Amino acid sequence: MTDADIEKFLFREARLMDEHRYQEWLTLWASDAVYWVPCLHEDTDPLRQVSIIYDNRAKLEDRVNRLQSGSVLAQDPKPRMRRVISNVEVERTGEEATVDSNFILVQARGANQYTWCGKSIHKLREQDGAIKIAYKKVLLVNSDQEMPVLQFLI
Amino acid sequence: MSNAVSASSINIGELIQPDRIHGRLYHDAGLFRREMDEIFHKVWVYLGHESEVPNNGDYVRRQIGLQPVIMVRGKDGKVRVLFNRCRHRANLLCPHERGNGEVFRCQYHGWTYSNQGDLLAPTFDEAYDSSLRKEDFGLTPVPRVQTYRGLIFASASPSGISLDEHLGGAKEFLDLIIDRSPVGEIELTAGTQKMSYRANWKMLPENSLEGSYHGHFIHKFAFDLFDSRSGRDRMDHDEDSTRSMPGGHMVEDFRGVQYHPRQEPSPARKAYVEMLIKTYGAERTESLTFGRAPILFVFPNLMFVQTHIRRLQPISVNETHVYYQPVMLKDVPPQINQEILRSHETSFGPAGFLSPDDIEVMERNQVGLQAMGNEWLFIGRGIHREEKLADGATIGHDMDENQLRGLWRHYAQLMSHV
Repeated sequence: MTDADIEKFLFREARLMDEHRYQEWLTLWASDAVYWVPCLHEDTDPLRQVSIIYDNRAKLEDRVNRLQSGSVLAQDPKPRMRRVISNVEVERTGEEATVDSNFILVQARGANQYTWCGKSIHKLREQDGAIKIAYKKVLLVNSDQEMPVLQFLI
Repeated sequence: MSNAVSASSINIGELIQPDRIHGRLYHDAGLFRREMDEIFHKVWVYLGHESEVPNNGDYVRRQIGLQPVIMVRGKDGKVRVLFNRCRHRANLLCPHERGNGEVFRCQYHGWTYSNQGDLLAPTFDEAYDSSLRKEDFGLTPVPRVQTYRGLIFASASPSGISLDEHLGGAKEFLDLIIDRSPVGEIELTAGTQKMSYRANWKMLPENSLEGSYHGHFIHKFAFDLFDSRSGRDRMDHDEDSTRSMPGGHMVEDFRGVQYHPRQEPSPARKAYVEMLIKTYGAERTESLTFGRAPILFVFPNLMFVQTHIRRLQPISVNETHVYYQPVMLKDVPPQINQEILRSHETSFGPAGFLSPDDIEVMERNQVGLQAMGNEWLFIGRGIHREEKLADGATIGHDMDENQLRGLWRHYAQLMSHV
């Protein structure tokens, strides 16, 4: 996977998240995946500290099943969202690429418009000719502030 | 219309009937101010837990109603609650959410206080004559601070009932929560999820304590998921009850629930249950395990829900902050606390499977209240069958609303003093 492949992959992931294409998004993940949105910016140990999200693959599937169940109030109606991915930096170790990127996401929900922003750290690997997410950590700029509901894919 | 009338002209008794309450109680800015003065700035307010300031010099910032305070463990090891306001010209003394320090130094003009609140030095003090006596300019302590099993409460009123009297019947249920540790100690050391919602503060305790009813509707997906994995049947709740207590406290009591997890318990969980049996005996251990912890509201701002302590902070009549802190059990196998963390994240916080639906429904509730054709909210469910106890508590079926009626009776008492 070239840097261009990686950037293309991040853009595709962003599009699937923006368009609520949950099942397609799920196929991007490896079977041993970890998906982590911490509450703090400094280094934390998720085994001792609470997170906003700390999912293994099974819980990620529960999450996706719930989001598409039609029973999530904050998804009724579905919020409209668009995000911009930028500042992509790639570092490779063996078969894996660690990718830092920034995002700004604007969400229109109910009568309000919300802005979400943060840094994502992906660990990507190639599997059967496709790029898979082995690990994704999202550091929200407001992770330690009082926030509204986060009922979409980030 | 109703929003414009001054709160002092409102007769609270007319807004709170035995089976209904008036919508104005949720959206009148004057009433909100009166709630701050008559409730939050007088009664015992939950501030935090001793484990949040374990070492001398540790501090956290909190609020009593709208008033900023510092909860700090001084160099003498004692936890104090001090108003977060420099005695010079009222600057916010401590701007940091938490930390550790020997002194608090005001960033405005450099006045410095010890972590016990004593004024150590005003700056350039040759300009003050002997009329400035340092001992008169220490940080102002909140008049009353008392603890119950590590939980720290403060009252901004110099007089009033003791914390023990305020907690009353709620202590039995706090014990059920804290005794889930085999050494009877909990720790709030696992961090905090923070949320804000655009609705009145009182909706949160109401919503948190009637989940058995609204859960069938707004939490259907999550309840189905949890039932299928735990072996619980949420329609089988004949042994559950809902209780209101004097002091405005509420509880959903699940001690009678008859189910055990379908999966074979892990070695860590077996060891944990053995530890509980050793400390408390087999019978009490039954009440402490298998999801039987009560859901508890301690008036006016503390909730315990399944995995966590939930502290509410009113901001304005239609904005509230909520803090979710998972309750870690002291001296249990580490896997037990990890299970609590993961189970907490599944349900609660901004991305959980339960609390976002509650937040969303409360925000819609606040909008619905603006329709003023008929301003009454009905809380009469089960009123014909509620059981009244001698101490003023009421017990109802699990999906009844007797607990909400108790909350509003207490609220009416406090707000009618003026």
